[in-house]
Amino acid sequence: MNQCKRYLRLYKIMIAQFLKTIMQSKVDFLIGLFGFFFTQIMGIVFLYLVFQQIPNLQGWTFEQLIFIYGFAQLPRGIDHLFTDNIWLVGWRMVINGDFDRYMLRPMNIFFQVIAEKLQPDALGELLTGVILVAGSLAKGIVIVDILHVVLFFVSLVAGAVIYTSIKLFFASLAFWMKCSGPFLQTAYEMADFAKYPTEIYAKGVRFLITWVIPFAFVAYLPASFFLKNDVSAGMIGIECVIAVVFWCIAYAVFHRGTHVYESAGN
Amino acid sequence: MRKYVKIYLPFTLNALKRQMAYKGAFYLFILVSLFSSFISYYLWKAIYTSSDQATLGGLTQEEMVVYVFMVYVTSSIVMSSISNYVSEDVVKGTVAMNLIKPIDYRMSLIAMAAGNMIYRFLVPSVAIWIGLEIYKVTALGLRPVTAVEVLLYLLSSIMSFLIYVLFDFCFGMVAFFTTYIFGMMLAEEALLGFLTGQLIPISFFPSAVQRVFDFLPFSSMVYTPIMIYLGKYTGRTAGFMLFRQAAWVVILYVAGGLIWKRVTKRLVVLGG
Repeated sequence: MNQCKRYLRLYKIMIAQFLKTIMQSKVDFLIGLFGFFFTQIMGIVFLYLVFQQIPNLQGWTFEQLIFIYGFAQLPRGIDHLFTDNIWLVGWRMVINGDFDRYMLRPMNIFFQVIAEKLQPDALGELLTGVILVAGSLAKGIVIVDILHVVLFFVSLVAGAVIYTSIKLFFASLAFWMKCSGPFLQTAYEMADFAKYPTEIYAKGVRFLITWVIPFAFVAYLPASFFLKNDVSAGMIGIECVIAVVFWCIAYAVFHRGTHVYESAGN
Repeated sequence: MRKYVKIYLPFTLNALKRQMAYKGAFYLFILVSLFSSFISYYLWKAIYTSSDQATLGGLTQEEMVVYVFMVYVTSSIVMSSISNYVSEDVVKGTVAMNLIKPIDYRMSLIAMAAGNMIYRFLVPSVAIWIGLEIYKVTALGLRPVTAVEVLLYLLSSIMSFLIYVLFDFCFGMVAFFTTYIFGMMLAEEALLGFLTGQLIPISFFPSAVQRVFDFLPFSSMVYTPIMIYLGKYTGRTAGFMLFRQAAWVVILYVAGGLIWKRVTKRLVVLGG
């Protein structure tokens, strides 16, 4: 309990420091937000243009696809907001020895990595997600009852954990290979597959994004639970199990990695 | 002309060599960028099965498959970004060095981009292109592409490359006003993905919007060469499209020169 309090206090201090650094460049903040927001909007316009030509996509309507699309942004945005620093571990902290400073402080190393930075760009994704999901609620295509509302938030958290785990796993490979950025990027970009119903893909691809790099579980599969009556709540259960399992694997690899870490000496 | 080649060719070769040095990362990036092609491929397949018409936006399903992968080939030739070099030079202040050297900064960047373009064309694109052509004839049952179409396509792509690079140079000038060009580049990429026809063929847009696009340089970057390749633009239309591309090269060249002149006047570099 004391431990918990201490970390909370530390997190506040570190984030306050970080916020001071972004205050000096408010324009940058707006540009980043705009950049991410804009990228997402383009995806919607694409769907809109396509649906001018067809009544539905293999049984899914335009409104339903918009919900899946918007829902996919939320866990992604949450993860992006809090753990963006993991990217730097994969790309350059290990190779240039910046990781040293985490090893020296008497705090949990993973905590230090994520407490060092908040990524305000993520608000662009969160904003898109919230707008689209709210729009879907207003249209009444989403199932709303106590169970679904509770599981909605559970699913967001589990989804964000899956994102973080996948990022952490691939970033941790850097401890052995020095720079794992390209692998991290490859894995992360696979999330784009999950913005659309996975039924449209060939079997191999579907298997890959459902069970190997389980992005289907952060977007399409839980979203279908909120849209359709015949999908059971077990879907969210599996999502949580996957989140826990992947987190344990990723954290174990990260932990081992910090033991083999050798600084770039000079 | 000889003098020009002698001055700027080293930039091209340098960029080529640099690309060769980081092969491992490069192959992964090819994989990543192919992801989006495959997503589009499956998406379009589903879209065509859901539609009761055989052609959407003037393209059959087979042609759309060719379109999706030609987008990949064409963009890897055309979209060789230089705005990140500009921003790096401005942020670090090395742009000052480029101003005192007796060379044209923009030409050196274009030469560098050409090096990147050649490498990307030779390493992944040609192989994917040939693979696509074989797949197209054997599996999709379309006619093989003619030599004239290939020549016109390459000519059009080179112009596209120039249009893109000259536009990107103008865009890179933003770096003089903000240091956080990452967000801007993200927005640029999203916008271009749309307006150039990378994401969806221009023919899917409402006709009023298409009319507007006719007066913008973007559709010339990716859509035009692919339409030529697919044999949708032939004879006089193809000639007119190539002429329009050439016109954009000239316009953007002049505009970029003017902007550069104005921007460098207010440039302040500290230290060095």
